[in-house]
Amino acid sequence: MQSFGEQIRAHLPYQRRNAASLALLVFAMVLTLSAFAEVGLARDGNIPGGLFIYGGGLVVLAFIAYFVQTKFTPYADPLLLPLAVALNGLGLAIIYRLDLDTSADRKATAAAGKKLLEDAADAPGQLIWTFVGITLFVGAVLIMRDTDKPDAPLSFTPKTAQRYTYLIGLSAVVLLVLPIVPGIGAEINGARVWINVGGFSVQPGEFAKLLLVVFFAGYLVNKRQAMSLIGKKVGPISLPRGRDLGPIMVIWFFCLGVLFLQKDLGTALLFFGLFVSMLYIATQRVSWVLIGVGLLAVGVFIATLLPFMGHVNQRIDIWQNPKPYFDGGCLLKSGEVVPVNPDTDIYKKYKKPDVISPGYTACQALGGEYSDSAQLMKGLFALGQGGVLGTGLGQGEPWRTPLSFSDFIFDSLGEELGLTGLMVILLIYALIVQRGMKTAVAARDPFLKLFAGGVSFVLALQVFVIVGGVTRLIPLTGLTTPFLSQGGSSLMANWILIAILVRMSHDARKPAPQAIQDEGMTQIVSTR
Amino acid sequence: MNMDKPVRRVAIFALLLFFGLMAQVNYVQGSQAESLRTDKRNSRQYADIFNQPRGQISAGGEVLVTSQKSKADDSRYGRTYKDGPIFAPITGYFNGNATGIERAYNSLLGGKDKRITQQRWFDTFIGKKADGANVELTIDPDAQRTAYAQLKARTSPGRRGGAVVIDVKTGAVKVAASWPSFDPNEVAPQTGEKGAKRLEQLDDGEGVIKPLVDNALSQTFPPGSSFKTVTSALAMQKLGASSSTTVNTGQLILPESGRPLPNSHDSGSCGGAASLRGAFAESCNTTFAKMALDMGIQELHDGAGKFGFGQHVKLEPDLFTAESDVPVAYTDANGKSTPTGRDGTARSGIGQENVRATPLQMAMVASAVANGGKIMNPYLVQKVRAKDQSELYSVSPKEFGEPITGDQASQLEDMMRAVVTEGTAKNLQGMRIAGKTGTAEQGPGNPNARWFVGFGPAQNPRYAFAVMTEGPGSGAGDAGPVAGAIMAKVLQK
Repeated sequence: MQSFGEQIRAHLPYQRRNAASLALLVFAMVLTLSAFAEVGLARDGNIPGGLFIYGGGLVVLAFIAYFVQTKFTPYADPLLLPLAVALNGLGLAIIYRLDLDTSADRKATAAAGKKLLEDAADAPGQLIWTFVGITLFVGAVLIMRDTDKPDAPLSFTPKTAQRYTYLIGLSAVVLLVLPIVPGIGAEINGARVWINVGGFSVQPGEFAKLLLVVFFAGYLVNKRQAMSLIGKKVGPISLPRGRDLGPIMVIWFFCLGVLFLQKDLGTALLFFGLFVSMLYIATQRVSWVLIGVGLLAVGVFIATLLPFMGHVNQRIDIWQNPKPYFDGGCLLKSGEVVPVNPDTDIYKKYKKPDVISPGYTACQALGGEYSDSAQLMKGLFALGQGGVLGTGLGQGEPWRTPLSFSDFIFDSLGEELGLTGLMVILLIYALIVQRGMKTAVAARDPFLKLFAGGVSFVLALQVFVIVGGVTRLIPLTGLTTPFLSQGGSSLMANWILIAILVRMSHDARKPAPQAIQDEGMTQIVSTR
Repeated sequence: MNMDKPVRRVAIFALLLFFGLMAQVNYVQGSQAESLRTDKRNSRQYADIFNQPRGQISAGGEVLVTSQKSKADDSRYGRTYKDGPIFAPITGYFNGNATGIERAYNSLLGGKDKRITQQRWFDTFIGKKADGANVELTIDPDAQRTAYAQLKARTSPGRRGGAVVIDVKTGAVKVAASWPSFDPNEVAPQTGEKGAKRLEQLDDGEGVIKPLVDNALSQTFPPGSSFKTVTSALAMQKLGASSSTTVNTGQLILPESGRPLPNSHDSGSCGGAASLRGAFAESCNTTFAKMALDMGIQELHDGAGKFGFGQHVKLEPDLFTAESDVPVAYTDANGKSTPTGRDGTARSGIGQENVRATPLQMAMVASAVANGGKIMNPYLVQKVRAKDQSELYSVSPKEFGEPITGDQASQLEDMMRAVVTEGTAKNLQGMRIAGKTGTAEQGPGNPNARWFVGFGPAQNPRYAFAVMTEGPGSGAGDAGPVAGAIMAKVLQK
């Protein structure tokens, strides 16, 4: 029987789809430029100057990326680049729009002689990071060669990484540990996931994510036969041998430990889902999924018991019932939630000049755990304000939500573009993921298959965790929204991810090598 | 071993994750959007309400409440109340939060109501904010001013007074005045911090004076003898009495304490026996206390309920009166409930003990008498018009209930006229009004609640009224003339 991948490959057109890619790219550009124009028209009735700087900048970058793609990976999937550009452009437009408001705020606070906002939307910064991200995409597409010429001098293909599996695994771990090293690491917004490099804040976790995919892929390709075939059968599920399980459990526990110390549950959840899904792809055994889900349940249960991880069960409680926590709520031992927001009597009682956070102090006195759902609720209010059609770009008030330009950028887009706009954004993500999955199916090499499947799924999971969090589908944990959130690390990592998929899709879709028929009969040798 | 199948399954799982997100976004932005927008924690709704003008509130063609920018360079709109304290019991105040009509018609005044946004759907579509609609009150502004001035003049210092006039055929409230009042201009949006402080001060009040709680619709007082109108009506229904029935007006010994219930005087009709009409006109306590004892507190409670006692009467959406009541059991401040005993039942029959009523409630009682037994549901808003003058809402009067028959109503009407022609309120002759006096005791240290509850004109009545002022003296002397002055103004038109 033909496998599914063979069926797909049999029907692949082996055509260059560059015209389609160009048409879609132009459409993505029109989308982005219209978004900028709408911001300006709505706010002061003019086409904004930003249109030419930001929109123009993005157009130039995107077309450079397009020409590199057509030249070096002509058989690449035509959708990936335009979809990523559309997301990046929309993100840039909404950050530009939020920056107009926060800039005004900054001027006002500066004029009032108060402390400047630490976090603010920063459109010029995001444009620079977009530039860096697309440059990395171009660089990656240029550097990586076809996988069937692995021995050419100075070549680097996605498959090269397989040779350095353990080295890459180690570097992923190092990247994860860096933020908790004193002197290098920095804590921003309660999560210690940043490092300071030459004045920039970098989130190494974003890159560790990609490296972990490589490590898992490399390791599982070697071990998957053993893992899926050998094992003790206990009831309906068969347990793997300890020696197969061991190394992967070590690295997994290590990751989780680091993440718990960094208090970054979102990334822990992301790595966990990645780990389970790749195990499943490699071994096809449902028992792995069950073991993994069981481990997650144990992990979450332990987290709710640990005092220093106190915010885990509160996050779950806030998710179920956010209203009493608005502007401060106190979870008592009895499970009752006492609001300690500024309107309550208990807050007023503790409101003294020397008390920094009266709600927190009041909650300490009550013997409960303090938490605040204002951010989540404000994000939901933004979504509610947007409704079906949205207020229109530049006409809403998304700046009311804290971190409206990063963690809550999806809610900001929801306010101004409405349900309609959010459906489009989710569809774009779904398309990128499905295109990546198709690349995985079409790939010939098992390592590349796992690699492509892993990066596609990690993207889907990341969108699910953050978007599900800000729309209250699941408890809120901090992650970046790929291509939309403000921040350089995320943009760079995701553009590299797209570059890898573009390169692999080119490899999978290009025609099989032709025989050289210049002298005599030569056997056609496929390198599959 | 081929990995295509698991990759495909993971791809389907990833799609399911996206479907989950899409479903949730649809749920939040589709079905939850409205409740999120109006959530009281959502600061958006408070922020942009200051950034666009609110609709006007007017009465009798006179614009009472307007919005305008406080300063030319300020994007925020303030709110100005003409004769603020006089109309405050109806208009309420607005400072983000709101009371009264400002609250009940908030969505229309603020331009957010579906009736506006659907009409101006294109504006909504392109994101242009709809203008607030204008609300027209049923109030007669001149009569309201007279009522305010009269209450102010006749109420003892540091005490309260309230007056209500309703159109008996429709239920339209013509006057709802309260003394003391407050000036909504002092707490309007343009006053900022100062206004917020003033509002706290007003909210705390001073002694019995709570300026934010008006004494016409939102405060209850013991109705005293004016409640005899209700007792008489119930006696006609339950005990088969009529205005010509001879009733005992002599001494009544209270069954539990064995002490006599005093009459205000023991001469004339109250000398021993009289017709119900005579006993009513001269307000003999013993007759009505006896009737209450004969009926029992439960009958009294249920019967009064048909007039509106025992419920918050709904005037407008989100605007209810205080609850008037003839309690079967009294619950004290500690939550301890004591059933109303036999003595208490007797005193309840003359509007004492724990019987409490708003002036509006007593006006509704009078309107049943003046309108052939029917009470129309009282209301405050006649019409709401969009800025382009198109009509968004127009009241259609509804019946509140029919507690008494037409025949009983006409007997009671005659009895109330007798109060002025030959009874306790002879001083009001020539004022073209009829009614029942009431002088309720409010316990040691408190002055009387003086009532005059009735209708005008005395023949073929069109309006029912209730006036209550606190102070020494009697209902006839200190509430009756107030009613006369107000009704003179109302009947001018």
